[in-house]
Amino acid sequence: MTPTSVSYRRIYVWELPVRAFHWINAAAITVLGLTGFIIGHPFSVAYTQEASFQYWFGTVRFIHFLAGYIFLINMLMRIYWGFVGNAYSNWKEFIPTSRSWIGDIKEVLKVDILQTSVHGPVHVGHNRLAGLIYFGTFWMFLFQALTGFALYAPMSRLFVGKLATWIVPILGGDQNVRHLHHTMLWFYVAFAIVHVYLVFYHDYVEGRGTTSSMVGGWKFEREDYLDKH
Amino acid sequence: MSTRIVVDPVTRIEGHLRIEAVVENGVVTDAFSAGTMVRGIEKILKGRDPRDAWAFVERVCGVCTGIHALASVRAVEDALKITVPPNAELVRNLMYGTLSVHDHVVHFYHLHALDWVDVASVLKANPVETSKIAQSLSRWPKSNPGHFAAVQQRIKKHVESGQLGIFANGYWGNKAYKLPPEVNLLAVSHYLDALEWQKEIVKIHAIFGGKNPHPNYLVGGVPCSFNLEEVNAINTERLNHVGSLIKDAIEFVEQVYIPDLLAIASFYKDWGAIGGGLENYLSYGDMPTRGYNDPSSFFLPRGAILGRNLNEVHDVNPRDLDEIKEYIPHSWYKYAEGDQVGLHPWKGETEFNYTGPKPPYEHLNVEGKYSWIKTPRWKEHAMEVGPLSRMLIAYAKGHTDVKDLVGTVLGKLNVPVTALFSTLGRTAARGIETQLLVHEMKATFDKLISNLKNNERRTFNPDSWEPSSWPAQADGVGMAEAPRGALAHWIKIKDKAIDNYQLVVPSTWNASPRDAKGQRSAYEASLIGTPVSNPDQPLEIIRTIHSFDPCLACAVH
Amino acid sequence: MSVSGDSLWITMREKGYSRREFMQFCSFAAATIGLGVQGKAEVAKAFEQKQRPPVVWLHFQECTCCSESFIRGSHPIVADILLDSISLDYTETLMAASGHQAEKSLADTIKKYAGKYILLVEGSVPTGADGVYCVIGGRSAAQILEEAAKDAAAIVAWGNCASYGCVQAAKPNPTGATPIQELVGKPVIQVPGCPPIADVMVGVITHILLFGRPPELDSRGRPKEFYSRRVHDTCYRRPYYDAGLFVESFDDDHARKGYCLYEMGCRGPVTYNACAVTRWNDHTSYPIQSGHPCIGCSEKGFWDDGPFYRHLPSFPGFPIEATADTIGAALGVGVAIGVGAHAITTNIRKRPVIQETQAESVSEPTDKKKVD
Ligand code: HEM
Ligand code: HEM
Ligand code: NFV
Ligand code: SF4
Ligand code: SF4
Ligand code: F3S
Ligand SMILES: [Mg+2]
Repeated sequence: MTPTSVSYRRIYVWELPVRAFHWINAAAITVLGLTGFIIGHPFSVAYTQEASFQYWFGTVRFIHFLAGYIFLINMLMRIYWGFVGNAYSNWKEFIPTSRSWIGDIKEVLKVDILQTSVHGPVHVGHNRLAGLIYFGTFWMFLFQALTGFALYAPMSRLFVGKLATWIVPILGGDQNVRHLHHTMLWFYVAFAIVHVYLVFYHDYVEGRGTTSSMVGGWKFEREDYLDKH
Repeated sequence: MSTRIVVDPVTRIEGHLRIEAVVENGVVTDAFSAGTMVRGIEKILKGRDPRDAWAFVERVCGVCTGIHALASVRAVEDALKITVPPNAELVRNLMYGTLSVHDHVVHFYHLHALDWVDVASVLKANPVETSKIAQSLSRWPKSNPGHFAAVQQRIKKHVESGQLGIFANGYWGNKAYKLPPEVNLLAVSHYLDALEWQKEIVKIHAIFGGKNPHPNYLVGGVPCSFNLEEVNAINTERLNHVGSLIKDAIEFVEQVYIPDLLAIASFYKDWGAIGGGLENYLSYGDMPTRGYNDPSSFFLPRGAILGRNLNEVHDVNPRDLDEIKEYIPHSWYKYAEGDQVGLHPWKGETEFNYTGPKPPYEHLNVEGKYSWIKTPRWKEHAMEVGPLSRMLIAYAKGHTDVKDLVGTVLGKLNVPVTALFSTLGRTAARGIETQLLVHEMKATFDKLISNLKNNERRTFNPDSWEPSSWPAQADGVGMAEAPRGALAHWIKIKDKAIDNYQLVVPSTWNASPRDAKGQRSAYEASLIGTPVSNPDQPLEIIRTIHSFDPCLACAVH
Repeated sequence: MSVSGDSLWITMREKGYSRREFMQFCSFAAATIGLGVQGKAEVAKAFEQKQRPPVVWLHFQECTCCSESFIRGSHPIVADILLDSISLDYTETLMAASGHQAEKSLADTIKKYAGKYILLVEGSVPTGADGVYCVIGGRSAAQILEEAAKDAAAIVAWGNCASYGCVQAAKPNPTGATPIQELVGKPVIQVPGCPPIADVMVGVITHILLFGRPPELDSRGRPKEFYSRRVHDTCYRRPYYDAGLFVESFDDDHARKGYCLYEMGCRGPVTYNACAVTRWNDHTSYPIQSGHPCIGCSEKGFWDDGPFYRHLPSFPGFPIEATADTIGAALGVGVAIGVGAHAITTNIRKRPVIQETQAESVSEPTDKKKVD
């Protein structure tokens, strides 16, 4: 193939708060998922001391709750940033507002998932499908925080848990809340696999520095593509 | 002249029972027994984990609490070929005895006594005389004039308050009441004592099963563990508690219940010829001593008696597809093969088909379907089940303790053996059984202690706990002698879940409507010939019905 | 002498005096005013002269265990309640009268004490098929409840049946068993449990009598006094939970040491009840103390949250063995396979784009040999 000469523009897409949110969120969810799984399936401890000298399960739960708080505050911060941050981080990026979105989403599906067409539209921030999925994801975050804090409420004196307890009767009791909270773990596992894969995929196929963008904030876009859009 | 008397609700029973009786010239000539509440628990069990079934079926009834749980774990263990460790068997037997003794005492005093005891006449009693009678009957320490006077005062105050509460609109003064005021006072006083005592014996359930009513059971054994080096398990303190509760139970039964029973019965010997009804008796037997698979080891034996022939006890096999069947010609269900067939419970169906009148209604259409209770038959015979059946079968099989005790009671009352086939006989058999059981509980407790002494402390068999170890398909039957009689649950397990679950319960046998051939079940049969002195007051009718200790939540489920 | 119209006995009881102490006081009072011991009862009567609140106890789709539990009350004992505290005018379990005499008791109380009687309900009401699944005296449960609830001063739902429908409302709820709260259109004091603890039941009634008002309720209508804590938060095995010391099989070494039953499916962490504090049968025990996990018997719909011996319920629509984890793990594997397949497809179908992108880099003034 003959090398072609194109020029790229460097665009500052992800501001620091977005990047910070992203990695704190990823870390919190990883910790929450691991500790949550242990809470759901405590492993047996072969050598055991008397209960009064041992607190490992309590510690696991403590880490889960601590990560839960970080997760919540981080999420609230991101929502705030959706109103004050740059265009790429604005809340409007997540919600389909016009008809052309639907077309864009179909387009992305064709290009990246079904791969029935080879070239597609270029989005500097999230593509439309990703934006919509993140929108759903945020609701899942909210749901997980609500169910988590509702379960946490009886063990906590802080008001935060109490704010979530209204969800319990709606979901039909604590056991259902716990069941749904636990089940959601698998949503995160599935999301993380697909998400990380797609980030690498885009980087590999498009070479726009998608992966590193979440670290440094910069993306690279071809001048000619940018002009077209 | 014939009148149709409706007794609904029948009270001082468990559940919703309706009796319609035809009375001619002061005597019942026909009767219809209807269960008027259904929940569909058999339908609800479908698809559940067999290890959970005990908890569902335990809620069939809170009066005979735990016995359905026992039948259920036995059914699952039978299907999965699980045998339980010896101590689990002993604990189950202790819990079994606790239930029966509790249930029988509560039945006698709180559900049955007011049929024989006129509370209003208590006010006329002389407490000093009452205490003399009481002291002549037993050495119960509360039998002093002061105590009886205080009880009388209490009743007096109650009556004077004008608020009679549970005693309101009773049949007080009906001429079928025969006790002298002093004996009435004695009985009412023990009504209160029994109410206070009954909450004690059930602590045995709490110790081994965590609570009563509705203690916990477990497929494969019992949930509690023994550990004599641990404060956090059944240890010496817990065992001592059980031991002293059994001791108190023996004391209460021997010093209060049995003497009262004999004293009251001696005024009602005519009831030894009323309410006999069916002549067939059935018992599955209970209190295994060498594992449930060896019925010859049961303290209460298994068998059937036909035509009151005490010389022959027939074998009973609940697995035989031809022995036990349930019919529905007069029950609000439908069978796939039509309403005339009988189904063995392994093939049983529970499909609602209400054809009765729309409530509110005056009368049921007794020509058609008229009850939520199915009609079980053993080899096509209508069978009576209950303490009387158990005592008769034990008697006929030569159970020495039973023979002795029955002989003593008959002797004390000076009535013939045939008096057993009656309303009075049923009530007496319940007392006799209670007396037997409190002592058997003591013997069981002693065995448990001796096992622990020999370091045998297992209470659970984990071998088939995991569903992965189960066969694709398994059938089981679990039997028990519930306080009210022969109880069995049939289970079919498929793909680790319940495929079919059918209960045939003591009150199903006794309270069911007639079959297609017109054969009456026990309640209906026993009412025939019962005198009714005042058609407006169904006192005699409920006397006979109460002698069965009805449980309608059980009967229908 | 009395406070806010209450009799002396009530006042003394509020202050923690027992019945016996009250009688002693009365005999002291009798002696001082010269009546002698005979007069003791008269004095007591005078001090107590107050109408007992009329109470009606209805029975619908139930197992009668709530009644059975109630008579196990230990402080005060039930005889004292029946004779001294309330006038239990209707209860099918204990009342002397049957048939139309029983129905008369019910009708009389509802009429005579309109607006003043306490209504206690045990059992759920089937609303399917015009109510034919529970009929008493020819009338359906719904008809009886409607009539009795209309003029009740307070309504108490005993147990899970009346509060939530309980076992008969478990799937597929063949009779349309309905909690009474949904039918009476009035606030109901919910006293869940299957059954509720005897002393909790007694406590609810005596609260109304002692303090002249119903107990403080939570948002789900349960008396906070008894249902404000999870079994788990008051469980004496809680230290083993925090320490991660769990029973793994019934009667294993850990069971014999009384470790936490969490892994056996204990529902203590999701169950609000007084079991671990008040305990059952006069403080004798509670399920966990006997070695059995809590099955959550005071929670709404607990029957369908099973299987009981597993931490997580089975997943609706899947075989009974399937939990969120089996399904979740399958989903994870599925997603991984999907992603792998996508990666392979990408390398085939996106070849031109990838090559194009890679070719672009050639225009940069870097080492050409690295390309291709
Ligand atoms: C992505 C986020 C989260 C994941 C994946 C996650 C996962 C889990 C899992 C799997 C469990 C075990 C459930 C069980 O089987 O009982 C659990 C329990 C729990 N989680 Fe989370 N969780 C998350 C967020 C939170 C948050 C934000 C909170 C809020 C404090 C929280 C509080 C709890 C509580 C209280 C429990 C129950 C612990 C206990 O039983 O003591 N979780 N979580
Ligand atoms: C190696 C790991 C990861 C990398 C490289 C990565 C990279 C990225 C990138 C590049 C974006 C922007 C996507 C776009 O342009 O559409 C992004 C967004 C996002 N990622 Fe990740 N991610 C990683 C792990 C995770 C994990 C574990 C989670 C959570 C489960 C997560 C949650 C999110 C969310 C919610 C967004 C949207 C962020 C926003 O707009 O605020 N990421 N990630
Ligand atoms: N009939 C019956 Fe039961 C008993 N006894 C059960 O099996 O009462 Ni509720
Ligand atoms: S709540 Fe439970 S214990 Fe009470 S009546 Fe219903 S099934 Fe029985
Ligand atoms: S036994 Fe149950 S209630 Fe008690 S600490 Fe363990 S999980 Fe909690
Ligand atoms: S099963 Fe019920 S009795 Fe208490 S400990 Fe659990 S709530
Ligand atoms: Mg049946």
